[in-house]
Amino acid sequence: MNDVVRRIGELLVRLQSPDYYDREDAVKELGTCSEDDAVHGLVMALEDPDLGIRELAADFLARIKTPAVSQLLIRCLASEDIGTRNLTCEVLVRIGSDAVPVLIESLESDDRDVRKFVADVLGRIKDPRAVEPLCARLADDSRNVVCSAAEALGEIGSPEAVPDLLAVCEKTEDARLHAIEALGKTGDPAVLERLYEYLESPDPMLQYAVIEAIGQMGLVRAVERLIPFFDSTDPAIAEAAMSAVITVSVRSREPVACDPPLDRFTDFLLEGIKSRDPATTHYTLDHLAQWYGSGIMEGVFSVLEFVDDDTFRRVVEIVGEIGAPAGELLVSRLSVSSKQLKLKLLDAARLIVDEEFARHVMPYAEDDDPEIRQRVAHLQGISGYVGAVPTLKKLALDANGHVRAAAIAALGWLCGEEDVDFILTGLDDKYPDVREATVGALIIVGGSKVIAKFTADLYHEDTERQRLAVTALGWIGEVDVVEPLLRAINHPDAGVRKSAISALARIGNVSDVEPIALALNDENSAVRKAAVSALVTLRGGWAFHHIRPLLDDPDVWVRYHTISAVGDIGDPKYADYLIPYLDDSLDVIKIATAKAMAVLCDERAVPALARLTREKNADLADAAKVALTRIGGTT
Amino acid sequence: MDIRTREEGSVTVLYLKGRLDLASGATLKEEVKKLFAKGCTQIHLNLAEVEFINSSGLGSLVSVMKEVRLLKGRLTLSNLASYVQEIFDITQLSHIFEVFPTEEDALVSSQSVSVV
Repeated sequence: MNDVVRRIGELLVRLQSPDYYDREDAVKELGTCSEDDAVHGLVMALEDPDLGIRELAADFLARIKTPAVSQLLIRCLASEDIGTRNLTCEVLVRIGSDAVPVLIESLESDDRDVRKFVADVLGRIKDPRAVEPLCARLADDSRNVVCSAAEALGEIGSPEAVPDLLAVCEKTEDARLHAIEALGKTGDPAVLERLYEYLESPDPMLQYAVIEAIGQMGLVRAVERLIPFFDSTDPAIAEAAMSAVITVSVRSREPVACDPPLDRFTDFLLEGIKSRDPATTHYTLDHLAQWYGSGIMEGVFSVLEFVDDDTFRRVVEIVGEIGAPAGELLVSRLSVSSKQLKLKLLDAARLIVDEEFARHVMPYAEDDDPEIRQRVAHLQGISGYVGAVPTLKKLALDANGHVRAAAIAALGWLCGEEDVDFILTGLDDKYPDVREATVGALIIVGGSKVIAKFTADLYHEDTERQRLAVTALGWIGEVDVVEPLLRAINHPDAGVRKSAISALARIGNVSDVEPIALALNDENSAVRKAAVSALVTLRGGWAFHHIRPLLDDPDVWVRYHTISAVGDIGDPKYADYLIPYLDDSLDVIKIATAKAMAVLCDERAVPALARLTREKNADLADAAKVALTRIGGTT
Repeated sequence: MDIRTREEGSVTVLYLKGRLDLASGATLKEEVKKLFAKGCTQIHLNLAEVEFINSSGLGSLVSVMKEVRLLKGRLTLSNLASYVQEIFDITQLSHIFEVFPTEEDALVSSQSVSVV
């Protein structure tokens, strides 16, 4: 014990050290002690000249939620230093409800500044135990205390405070605005009629506060009393009324019948969207479709580059709802927009792109900016407008690779076999995205010419072209690709062989599986695995006797794959062949076998599986347990 | 391919089952034509049970999409198997079609959009 006391004494001395790291270490060590002297030290450190140390001390103090700490902290509220007072308030807020009893007591402090700060803290903690004591402070002789108490009651929002707040409104002019704000936050409908009386006040500040408070209450029936203020000659009042209606709309989640004069409020609403105010944005977008024609739509388009992704998505949907007229408006904005805005406008047109729109934006295919040209190419494709093909062919030869890729993808959506020769040139492009877009386009177009080209490419000098070709043939998936793919099973490149086999499995309709069966002896293990899967997919149980030798393949992963494939066949008669592998020397093989047993459900596997449940390897034990459960469930 | 139809409000949902290739693609186009004749232009295709799609199948979807656009209607897709999603990504058809993870998502989207 003496050691601890001595140590704390040393640390307290170090808190006065001129060296920052010395003081920091001292605070860290004090933070681990629960003794009162240590806590005192931390409180002292709240006045350290360095912000980092003050915040470190605050962190430690916030974790000690004893009344003694709260008592010490409240003393700091009387500090002359504003930084210390603010930090102390933060710590008390972080301590939260544990500090409330001490804070409530401190509302009786002789120091009016302390009473004021305590009220502020209680408001931020929002503990309902503070309501009655704060109501008592509404009669405090300090205006600041009364205002803070009123604000705090607003933060807590308890209707119990309403009578006292109303009394403040009546009697205490200095605190009236704070009381009105607080009344709004209580949300008590009984307050509404009294607030209406204050609406008649000639004092614009009072009117403003009342309008805001009514908005905060979120009661739809109050909207009709706000609407007349839309015509106020004081723009601040008019905007407060608009803002209040928006707040009511958002809080009540009910439709609010209101047609604000948009010529007065367009800027207000757009500014709200631009600043990403959620309530204003939400309200405006909810009404945007019905307000179409008022000019606000153009305004929304003009701020599109400032909105977040969710808002943008909503605008796109609304544009889709309005349809072609919105498209015309969009096109008219393009010529007067910055590059960033143009891109947003073009993206916003996604749901309404049609032939007419495509024709209107065609001139932008010659825009100086490649991103614009790329977007236009994309939209031409989406539009389905066959008249765009010549423009897209020009863009397919653009200097910019992204533009070429977009144009070729679009050509795939629009073109037929007659344009295949042109699209094929994209396979020789130096830019990989263009080559990929070309493959995609050709897959859609399909047809004998495309199949012939890719069949020839299977033996191109470039390995990447070979692999693209086999992939493309697989995706084209027509009957005519089966023969070339079967031949490709003997391709010199293992990647091509593997892809060909996998493609054939997916296509199905393979009458002759002999080449695939021969691939079970391929030198490459990936090819052998692909062959196993393909045969099982194409022939089911018939494949078993072909794949059976691979249960003893030299490659462990081929063995694993084959065991799994036998499980996939799902026929219990093959369980016999797998059961011995439950005693394999390799865990991974035992796992595969246990999983297969969970499908095949052969009781003869039970003894071996039961042994495996005691294995240290958790994956193996789990697989065995699952299999036992399944087998148990079927017996 | 089997095609089952269901009305959900203003949207006609088609459930496709089997392979979407040249023959079944033609069947799909015929079914959609019948819907157009009845004035149905809000169409949703549920592809949960489409086990295979090839170039011709894609072509039929693109063809249906073009027809829907000409009629100012709306076509949505949902429940694409990973393999079908892959082919949509390779061909960038995911840019043309409105694809939703589930039928419910697509129908909710349709409810929030009314043709003006």
